[in-house]
Amino acid sequence: MSSFSKSPWIIHYDASSCNGCDIETLACLTPIYDVERLGVINTGNPKHADIFVVTGAVNEQSKAVICNIYHQLPEPKVVVAVGACALSGGIFSECYNISGGVDSVIPVDVYVPGCAARPEAIIDGVVQALGVLEKKQKEMTSLANSLDQALYLRAEKSDAPEILALQKTAYQSEAEIYGDDSLPALQQTLEELQKDFERPEQVFIKTVVNGKIIGSVRGHTVDDTACISRVIVHPYFRGRGIGRRLVEEIEKTFPNAKRFEVKTGHKSERNLFQFRHHGYQEFKTEPFTPAITWVYLQKERK
Amino acid sequence: MNPWIRLLIYLVAAPVVGGLLAGWDRRISARMQSRQGPPIFQPFYDVLKLVQKENVVVRRSQNYYIFFFLLLAIFTGGLFFGGADLLLVIFALTLAAIFFVLGAYKASSPYSFIGAERELIQMMAYEPMILLTAIGMYMVTKSFAVNEIASHPTLLVLMLPGIFLGFLYTLEIKFRKSPFDLSCSHHAHQELVRGITTEFSGRTLAMIEIAHWYESVFLLGWVYLFFGSLPVLGVAMSLLVFVFIILVDNVFARLKWQTALKSAWLVAAVLGFGNILVLSLLSSKPADPSGSGDAKPVATTRMSAPGGTTPAPGNAPETARRN
Repeated sequence: MSSFSKSPWIIHYDASSCNGCDIETLACLTPIYDVERLGVINTGNPKHADIFVVTGAVNEQSKAVICNIYHQLPEPKVVVAVGACALSGGIFSECYNISGGVDSVIPVDVYVPGCAARPEAIIDGVVQALGVLEKKQKEMTSLANSLDQALYLRAEKSDAPEILALQKTAYQSEAEIYGDDSLPALQQTLEELQKDFERPEQVFIKTVVNGKIIGSVRGHTVDDTACISRVIVHPYFRGRGIGRRLVEEIEKTFPNAKRFEVKTGHKSERNLFQFRHHGYQEFKTEPFTPAITWVYLQKERK
Repeated sequence: MNPWIRLLIYLVAAPVVGGLLAGWDRRISARMQSRQGPPIFQPFYDVLKLVQKENVVVRRSQNYYIFFFLLLAIFTGGLFFGGADLLLVIFALTLAAIFFVLGAYKASSPYSFIGAERELIQMMAYEPMILLTAIGMYMVTKSFAVNEIASHPTLLVLMLPGIFLGFLYTLEIKFRKSPFDLSCSHHAHQELVRGITTEFSGRTLAMIEIAHWYESVFLLGWVYLFFGSLPVLGVAMSLLVFVFIILVDNVFARLKWQTALKSAWLVAAVLGFGNILVLSLLSSKPADPSGSGDAKPVATTRMSAPGGTTPAPGNAPETARRN
């Protein structure tokens, strides 16, 4: 048993509905049930938490909040849906403002049924979540240990959903820098991405470790210029040279290009630093939104 | 004991003792709330887990600040247990806290901003009392060096009762316990999300935890100084003070920052400064009988004059001429 199962920190969010499950979840902390004896802390801060406990059905207002909290949880993380409403929408499922259970927005690992779910059931759900957490942690460690066996391959259209999910995770750090979710990379839909795959001049490269995509880059040519965009690496695997390798690989796929071009936001110092390290130089800026100015960088082929 | 050996023991033992204290704290708190509470090794499990978690970072530099916070927290205790100058220890302590605040400021989130501001207010609240504690210890032992204070034959708490109580008050602030858990609280409270530590996760949060362990061992070491001449009593009292702090934590609600600041300064002024005033009056008395020499400073002569001692005849014109 690793330390993961001995110290599960929880963040609890009540999406909507009658608050019954909400009260029962808090009842777990009381002297009768005392989940702290299992090391559980109700943190209230997504960045400290391991387990995301959601009660209630998802409505239009809580949708964005759930996504936000889920993305802020550091890996590895587990989601536990508590109560009938969180499972399927419950008696509210046919309401005009309800989009269904929690799994209509984020992936759910453990389902705890009940209306309202009993504290014993909730504790049991959390204990089961610990097993999932350990499994995910092992997967992450094995991925991190086999990074040297990473494959850099052409991505197919069937990879689009996985790449899009990765893109949304990877761009969270950019959205935080600018305090703005309107980045095109975060707004892209699956249909748009799939259309990109059908364009003949567009090339996608993916980094695959143990069958899981942890990085990707895309590029297309305009005359002699190759435009490289969206160098994305899963946040957990950053700083290990995957991004650098991706840029090298995509440059190799355009043997006829005389010049390479990239763009990034003006405050993304890390990206700017990396590209300058590759030999790229800034040549123009262009305002995009009040918060973001694009910086274009270029490099001639030697 | 050789100060280097003491330092080495501190470096190795402090995180273990500090972690156990933190576990004990949670256990005692749980018992006070009629709960079972987590295992005593729980803080170690937490830190081991945090090390394996992903480190979500807003700005990379925030982690360097926290690294220096940990380093200086260790350094503070190292100076203290190595027997260095008490004033230097206080400066290192302040610098450590400043790095923690800078880290939180760097993360640019409203919650960690408010937490950092409150931490600064807390520092303003406890600094005067901590300085007065060092000055009080100097007045009794005539030395700022920790090893000389610790080996001084008098029981310091008898000479510094006011300062001891005032120091207890600052310990509540320094341990971030209720009623002074303004910047962040360790228990299941969720105000300000998580205050000053909101934006830290993974390894960085683990570093903060470990720094707290070192800090709490150092602070309890300072409590020991008050009982330095009776080592067994000193250790017992340090632990008793720790239990007392936990008790206060569980009994009291949180104060507003205005009240915290005002009350801390009031305590420093009344208990701390009052104690020092009494000490200086006490220590000036034995000088009276010999106050007749020409070499004595004027102030001593003047102060002792209302005390009933008649100045020597040859001394009066001397005083007049100097004025």
